[in-house]
Amino acid sequence: MHDSESDTFQPINKREEFCHSLEKIGIDAESEKINTDEVEKGDYYSKQYSHSPSMVTNHGTIKVKGSNIDVIQIIQKG
Amino acid sequence: MAEDLDVIPWGAQDRFQAHFIVKTHGSISQQDFLARTTLRPVGHFASKKVGTVGWVGGQLADNLSADNDLKNMILKLPYDDAEILVEPTNSGIRIHGNWKSSYDFAITKELFSVYDKIASHVRIMLGSPPVKS
Repeated sequence: MHDSESDTFQPINKREEFCHSLEKIGIDAESEKINTDEVEKGDYYSKQYSHSPSMVTNHGTIKVKGSNIDVIQIIQKG
Repeated sequence: MAEDLDVIPWGAQDRFQAHFIVKTHGSISQQDFLARTTLRPVGHFASKKVGTVGWVGGQLADNLSADNDLKNMILKLPYDDAEILVEPTNSGIRIHGNWKSSYDFAITKELFSVYDKIASHVRIMLGSPPVKS
C-alpha cells in the first residue's frame, strides 16, 4: 500500500504563501526580505482593543502595487 | 509517567493574521482612526451569515458607516471575514480580521476589495488621494 503524499516537498514560508494567494486573485504583490520595512519595527497593535496579543512573531511584509494598501505584514500569534 | 491533560500552550501557535497597512507620514489623531465592525448575524452554524453591518470607533468609523457600497460588499462576505478591525500604530493604519489557522490562511478577491475600500477612506482622511483600482 502506498501513501498518497509525495516523497519530496518544497518548504515555503507564510509570507511567500500569502503572496502567492494574492497573485492568484490578480493583485500585483512582491514579497520583501524580513525586517526591511519600517512597519516591522514599531508596535503591531494599538492596544485599544482588549484582545490584542502580548506576544507575536513577525513573518515579514509584502509590498502591494496599484492599491490603496501600501504593505501587508504577516503575523503569527505567540 | 501520567499525561498532563491540562497543557498550557506556549510559543508560536497555529494562528496567523495579515495586516493591511496604509503608511502614515507624520503625527495623526489615533482615536480618529479606530474602527471595528459590529455585526448582526442571520442563521446558525454553517448557514450563519451577516444580517446587518455597522461600524463603531472614531471619525473613520463614521465615514465607513456612511459608505453603502462598502456595506453591501461586507454583507457578501463569510461571517468570520466580516469581523474587521482598523487600528492606528506609529508606522501606519492597520486593517485586519480575526486569527486564522495555517489551513485557512489566504485571501479572497472579495475580502481584498473590502480592505482596499477601507484603505481608500483612510487615505482620504490622511489627505492623500485614493488609488482607483
